[in-house]
Parts: sequence; structure tokens; C-alpha cells
Amino acid sequence: MAEAIPVVEMRNIKKNFGAVQALCGVDLVLHHNEVLGLVGDNAAGKSTLVKILSGAYIPDGGEILIEGKKVHITSPWDARRMGIEMVYQDLALADNLDVAANVFMGREAVSTRLGPISIMDKHHMDQETQRLIDRLKIDISSVHLRVERLSGGQRQSVAIARATAFNSKVTIMDEPTAALSVAAIDKVLNLVRELKAQGSSIIIISHRLEDIYQVSDRMMVLRHGRKVLECPVVGDLDEFRERVVAYIIGARNDFAGKGVN
Amino acid sequence: MHARRAKMSFIKNAKEIFLQNIRDFGMYIILVVIMVLFTITTKGTFISSRNITNLINQTGYIVVLAVGMTLVIIIRHIDLSVGYLSGFLGAVAAITMVSWHLPVYVTIPLVLGFGVLAGLVNGFLVAQMKIPAFVATLAGWLLYRGALQLATMSKGTIVISNAAFIAICNGFIPDIPNIGILPGVHKLTLILGVLAIILLIINAIRDRRKMQANKFKVLPIIFFILKLVFVSALVGSISWVFATYRGLSLTGVVLLIVILFYNFIMSQTVLGRHIYAVGGNPEAAELSGISVKKITYVVFCSMGMLAALSGIMFASRLHSATTTAGTLFELDAIAAAFVGGVSMSGGIGKVTGSFIGAFVMMSLTSGMNLMGIDISLQYIVRASVLAAAVIFDVAIRNRGK
Repeated sequence: MAEAIPVVEMRNIKKNFGAVQALCGVDLVLHHNEVLGLVGDNAAGKSTLVKILSGAYIPDGGEILIEGKKVHITSPWDARRMGIEMVYQDLALADNLDVAANVFMGREAVSTRLGPISIMDKHHMDQETQRLIDRLKIDISSVHLRVERLSGGQRQSVAIARATAFNSKVTIMDEPTAALSVAAIDKVLNLVRELKAQGSSIIIISHRLEDIYQVSDRMMVLRHGRKVLECPVVGDLDEFRERVVAYIIGARNDFAGKGVN
Repeated sequence: MHARRAKMSFIKNAKEIFLQNIRDFGMYIILVVIMVLFTITTKGTFISSRNITNLINQTGYIVVLAVGMTLVIIIRHIDLSVGYLSGFLGAVAAITMVSWHLPVYVTIPLVLGFGVLAGLVNGFLVAQMKIPAFVATLAGWLLYRGALQLATMSKGTIVISNAAFIAICNGFIPDIPNIGILPGVHKLTLILGVLAIILLIINAIRDRRKMQANKFKVLPIIFFILKLVFVSALVGSISWVFATYRGLSLTGVVLLIVILFYNFIMSQTVLGRHIYAVGGNPEAAELSGISVKKITYVVFCSMGMLAALSGIMFASRLHSATTTAGTLFELDAIAAAFVGGVSMSGGIGKVTGSFIGAFVMMSLTSGMNLMGIDISLQYIVRASVLAAAVIFDVAIRNRGK
């Protein structure tokens, strides 16, 4: 039965910003080794929902279960301790540091502790980073390259690799393909597929329906803070797009499993 | 054919390595050019052992500030208060010794502690109250200027007679007894220099082996050897210069300790990595679990402590605490850091760079003084060097993009 317990379950999540109801009771389920696409128009509540899961916002109502256990996530560090990693839209990388330093930022490997001073194990970090980028087939010539010298796609790959480097249970990607070239988008999507092949569970937010279509197993549509569609990703792209867009813009609103208000 | 191809690849490699490290190379080239220029124009006086030793002793209190300022600028802040803080704490040191009759070994830790405390206040204003560092430390600048005048009001100048305290910036390390070879040369200084070279070489080789074992890219062997030869020659000639005057000065010892310690912290420890991360992208650092607040506190406290050290060194150098001690030190330190390659946009800069920067600026002053150039022109020349260094930086960064 262990297989049937979802890795993440969010129930009846509510969040208000002042008088604005950003989320009015949304459910989200993510199974093991599944890629869930999350779409919706601007201000539909996608980012708010994942920011609640990653600890950036605290919900006004509802509950979160990680592998069947109820949890309270009150900060990004809480979320990270529980194995939830977020890849931020605006690339949370330090340009002045190299690839290895970015992957290990905030959790540097330590070789010796001298009181308050911890000496880094740089060789270990370099090796591990090299192993990571080899495993994920990321195209970067050296782990010693400064991140500012990488292309947009490479930077996004580093950000994603970093989020998945430490045995995370769930990786959340907020618009990972925004502002990337077509070639770079392909690379990032390949990386998502590679991660799934290696057993990761992923939530991906994107404006680009073709991205969702290409990599997701299942998808859900949010509109005005409510879930208006949840379905497996099947069929051909055009039909898929047409159907999903209708729900995004509110032309259709007949989804049976609509969240309780 | 083979020889030609080898030569081509050598030139190509050389060019690549030069371009990758253009900022570091540029700085050393500027330093060498300045030194050669002044050696010629002063007919050798500039490069004399005596002048170089004095130069180090006079640069000491600025270098110490520049090291602290490097960290502050790396995390995108500035500290204007450290000049007068240094002057004020120098006066505090003088008062504790002269009026309170406390011994040196109590005075120095006490004053360093006051420095940390002053840094804590700046850290509180910047990290906790979110006041822009420029404004917060400008208030400190005024405060410590007033405090310095208050402290020196009754006597004007507080003369320090404690021999041990004065030795800090005027003394030299002792020599081993004369054994007949190399008369007139400070042998312990030479021995230390040789030891330093051996350590450097062993370290470099060990590091290279480790990198190769992990199949990481290393410098081509010929450049590796060239680099070692250059560094060894540099360390060797510096020790020789010291050894032929009165040996390594105690200021030199203090500087070595400060620079080696800070260089170690910044390049080898988690704390240093976090400081660079906060400078490069504070939001990313915070999201990665690094406390930007804590780093800000640590950096300002270290700056305060170094300001105290600088004050002690200056008071020791002058044998006294004066009303004007510390005037414009903060700007000299900031200029040294920028000439040394620290970037205002944060995250970029090295402690060793700031040392060279301070040394370049002080060499300019010393050399132009020896040449008898008018002080007004000296300012203009130093301004040009500072501007050139920063323009060079910006140009490199834009090329990289």
C-alpha cells in the first residue's frame, strides 16, 4: 500500500492577501515519480500554491501531508528539511561563484571544524558536482566555471540540479523555461525527463502548454484561486491545448472534481 | 612542424590564461611598472631596502583597514566610520596605558574588543534596522570624530612611552646570532623567506596532484612552473629586501598574519564562501539557508576589530595619539580595495588584491614624495590610477557578457 500514499497531498488550501482571495480551497496531489503540470492565467494562484508548499507563504487554511504525515511548513528551511526543493523563477544562483559553489551553497561539505571555523572540503564538492552534472547529462564543460559565464539554459540546469542534489522528495519548478531560447528550453525539458527517469517527483509551473504536454504525466488548471481541471496528459497536442485553454480562460467550467468552496 | 605547433599552442594557452586572469595580472603589472618607474626617477632610492621597509610600515594601518573594507564591500555595504574609529581607539589605547596604567597585553585585547563592539553597533544598524550602511556609518564617522576630540581634548597629543607598544610599528624581528656568513644581512628573515617558498611549492604541487587525481583541468605544466618561479622570485626578493635592511618589521609580521588569516577564511572556509554568496546574490543566499543578517554582523564586527588594530598600529607608529589620527583613513582603505579589484556591485574581490591595491597607492605617494612632486599633483595622479583601475574592471566585466 506504500505506493498508494502520495508524496505530497495538499487539502483545501486557502490563502488571502488582504481582501483578495488568492486561493479558495485548492487540493493538490502528487504521486511518487510523477510530473505534475500546473497551469493557469496570471494571478490564478499557481505560484501562491507552490510557495505555500515551499514555505515562502503560510496558508490561512487547509492542511499539507508529506508521505501521509501531516506537517506544518513555516519557512523555506522547514520545507527543505522535509525534502521539498524549489527552483525559483528568477534563478536563485550567485553569479560570482562557480558551478560547484552554487550547487553546494548553504550546505558546503566540511573537512575540518576548528571551533566556529569550518574548512570546506572543496575537492569533495567538485567531485560530487561533476558526478551530478554527468548523471543528469548537463552540458557544462567545468564545475569551476563561474555561473555568470553560463548561458541561460545552463544556468537553469544548474539551478535544477542544485534543487535535486540532496535527495529531495519533491522538486518544484516555477516557470523553468521562461526567458530561455528554444534550444535551451529543450535542454531543460530533457533534464526534467531525466530526473523523472531517475525517480524524482516534480511539480512544474509553466505558461507554455507544450512544455507541460511534453513532460507531465498529469496536470491541473487553476482559475481565480480554484481548481477548474485535473486530468492525465494524453491525446495529441492541439486537442490538449484547445481543451486546456478553454479552462484557463474560463470558457469551460464544467469540471466535476471542482474543489469545495 | 612539431616545434612550430608547440609554439603556437603555447602562445594560445598563454593568451587564454592571461585573459582569464587579466585583473590579477594587470594589478601586478601596474605595481611592477610603478616600482620600476620610481626606481629610475629616484636613482634607486625608491627600491632601497630602507625605503621599502618604511613603505610597508607606513602602509600597514591602511592595509589592515583595506582588508576589513574588502569584506564589507563584498557584501555590498560600505563603512565610513572606520577612519575616526581607528583614531579614537588609538586614543583609547593611549589613555588606558598612560592614564590608567594598564599593561600592553591588557590594553590591546581591550581595544580590539571595543572595535568589535563598534562593529556590532554598525551591524545592528545595517542588518537589524535595515539602515543603508552609507548613512549608518556616516553617523559613526561623526560620532567617532567627536569622541576622538573629546578623548584628546585635555592634552592635545597623548604621548605613549611604552616600549613594547611602540615596537609594534617600529620594531623588527630579532636575528639569530651571527655565525660568520652573510654579515650585515638579517638571516632569520632570509630563512623565513626560504621556508615560505618551500611551503608554497609543496602546497601548489599537492593541490595540483589532487586536482589531476580527480581529472579536473589544471594549468599546463609549463605555466605551472612559470607561476611557481614567479611567486618564488617575488617572495625571495621581498625577503632579500627586508634582510638587507633590518629584517622583517613587526608591522610586516602583523600584516602577514592578518592577510594570511583573512585569505584563508575567504578562500577555504564555509564562512568565507557564505560571505561571497551573500555578496553575489543576497536573496539566493537567504533562500539557501544562509543568514544574511549573521554574515552582515560578522563582517562589520571584523571591520571594527581591524579598525581597532589599525588605530593601535598608527598610535604605535607615531608614539602618540593625536586629535587628527584616522583622518581620511577610510577613504584610503576604500580606494585601496577598489584599486585591488573589489567590485561595488558585490561578491567580487580578494584580500590579497586589496593589499596590493594599498601598496600601489602608498608606493605612488612614497615615490612622488621622493621625487619632490607637489602634493596637489600627487592627488591628481592617484585619482587617475584609481579611476583607471575601476574603468579597467568595468571594461573586463562588460566584455565577459
